[in-house]
Amino acid sequence: MDIYILIHNSVQKFKNKIKKDTITNENVSSAMAAELTIISTILISSIMLRHINVLLTVLIILGLGLCLITNMPLISKLKKEQDDSLNKMMFYVILTLAILVSAIYWGVLK
Amino acid sequence: MNELIPLMVIIPIIAALILNALGRKNSIVKTLSFVVAILLPLIPIISNYGFHYFGGHSPLIDNENLLSSLPSLISNVSLSTFHIGINYSFEGLQKILLFFLFIVGFLAIFTAINERKRISGQYMFLIFMGLSSVTAMLLSDDIFHMYIFFEIAIISQVGIILSSNDNQKYETAMKYMILGSIGGPILLTGIGFLLALVGSVNITDITYMIKNGLIDSYSPVFLFSFGLIFFGWIYSVGLPPFHTIKSAVYSKATPSGSALLQALSVVIFISFGLAILRIYSHLPFVHGIIIFFSLAGMILSITMALIETDLRRIIGFLAVGELGYIGLGFGIGTNLSITAALFQGINELIITALLFIGFGAIIQLTKISNITKLGGLIENIPKMSIMVLLGGFAMAGVPPLNGFQSKLMLIQSALNANFPELAIIMILISIVTFMTFIKIFHAAYLKPKPKDLIVEKSLVPRSAIFTVGVLLIICIVLGLMPDLVVKELTTFVGGLI
Repeated sequence: MDIYILIHNSVQKFKNKIKKDTITNENVSSAMAAELTIISTILISSIMLRHINVLLTVLIILGLGLCLITNMPLISKLKKEQDDSLNKMMFYVILTLAILVSAIYWGVLK
Repeated sequence: MNELIPLMVIIPIIAALILNALGRKNSIVKTLSFVVAILLPLIPIISNYGFHYFGGHSPLIDNENLLSSLPSLISNVSLSTFHIGINYSFEGLQKILLFFLFIVGFLAIFTAINERKRISGQYMFLIFMGLSSVTAMLLSDDIFHMYIFFEIAIISQVGIILSSNDNQKYETAMKYMILGSIGGPILLTGIGFLLALVGSVNITDITYMIKNGLIDSYSPVFLFSFGLIFFGWIYSVGLPPFHTIKSAVYSKATPSGSALLQALSVVIFISFGLAILRIYSHLPFVHGIIIFFSLAGMILSITMALIETDLRRIIGFLAVGELGYIGLGFGIGTNLSITAALFQGINELIITALLFIGFGAIIQLTKISNITKLGGLIENIPKMSIMVLLGGFAMAGVPPLNGFQSKLMLIQSALNANFPELAIIMILISIVTFMTFIKIFHAAYLKPKPKDLIVEKSLVPRSAIFTVGVLLIICIVLGLMPDLVVKELTTFVGGLI
């Protein structure tokens, strides 16, 4: 499917995804801006991997770009994961601790 | 020895204890709080740079008589340079940061005194304990001492949330405490590992041992200690995954309480951040990890701020997102970037306090924080709205305000360090911050007033207008004359690295 159609369809989904709030022009444009911000910043920041390996960077950017665009709209999913639920907070806290300590411990020793 | 240095911690603690004992004696509590709060910013100004050794326990090398009487087994080895007791170090950073912290503390107390008819000694106890805790953290050269005061600061923060009138304050405070029960002990465990390896919790001593190869700084214990301390740091400052609860914490307190909470968080961020840099910056991956979490904090917070509809929550997310800039400066790790990060920290402390108190006036008048239900308030509070607009510009980095100066320095440092991607992201996030701010400003002040919106006829307290005015003046002065603080910070960072 054409990328433009994908983006167009995902924008149409915004209305349903944020139906809990009053739908205004501001809400939809904010959600679109947030969507574009998150995609662009993730892609730009992944360019920093060039300090490790250029080929790896190219592959990761292509993979990330494809993954991000095909999973649009991302922001509604992100909002759902970042609500005030203690369960979700605990889950991400433990996950972060596990990844952080494992990566530092084994990543450096090997 | 400089006797004024510990007074910056001791005076607020004594004031806190007295105010707590005074309880509900309203007029005495208000007077005493005001007097102590206005005196506090003077202490860092009149105090000279130097060290304070608690109990007079200076390193042996500073005491020639004692050193000469000791066996060569002690006097001729590095043990003689070690710090026996707790010591406070007061330099350019501490002077500037504590001055602005106490200014924000004074303005928060001044606003709190005037926005409430009755104020309890217990509430003032929490505020002064919070101030003294983060002051001790910034001054201390002892990481365990920092941890103790960090825990006190967290408890003070929870108390400040509970003193608000928000319906969800208990739930948010409880969640913060539960997450703290993970973050705090993890941090302490990290410090324990470090102590087990090095035999000291003094940061200067630890750094000395690493630099001179007295310990294996790539040993599993050392690496593990970094992981745990770093995790404790991201909990303490609200970087992901703690950004959600941190923004919730900010949004549940009173406006003056939120202003103070974020100021405490900024000082905690800088204190622990500098400790981590001093101990672990030789490890190759440390800067990358700091950059990763800072970027994640900026991106997640700003996108959440964009789609939020609660005014206080939006400012909370913006405040957390701005912390990411400080983290990026630390992560880049050059002299210029760390100086810029410290400057950004000072600016954020001031700007976010301005926004919390400025937007607090809206909630005070309407009792509503949902921006979809607000509108047309510029006719009710024109002066405040203009000052808040300028404060928002400062946060977004619009010249010639202070936020512009620090962000420009950060962008320059990223370019100099061969990280153009970071420079682009910082510009992008500044633009989105600007957009978010304009969105809430339009929603609250400019769009037509909803028919069902009831605005109280009482005026916004003059204290709030005065507070926002003073903070705005600081923003403009630091924007026009950044060298007032940057010179001192540059000297401090030069001695740090």
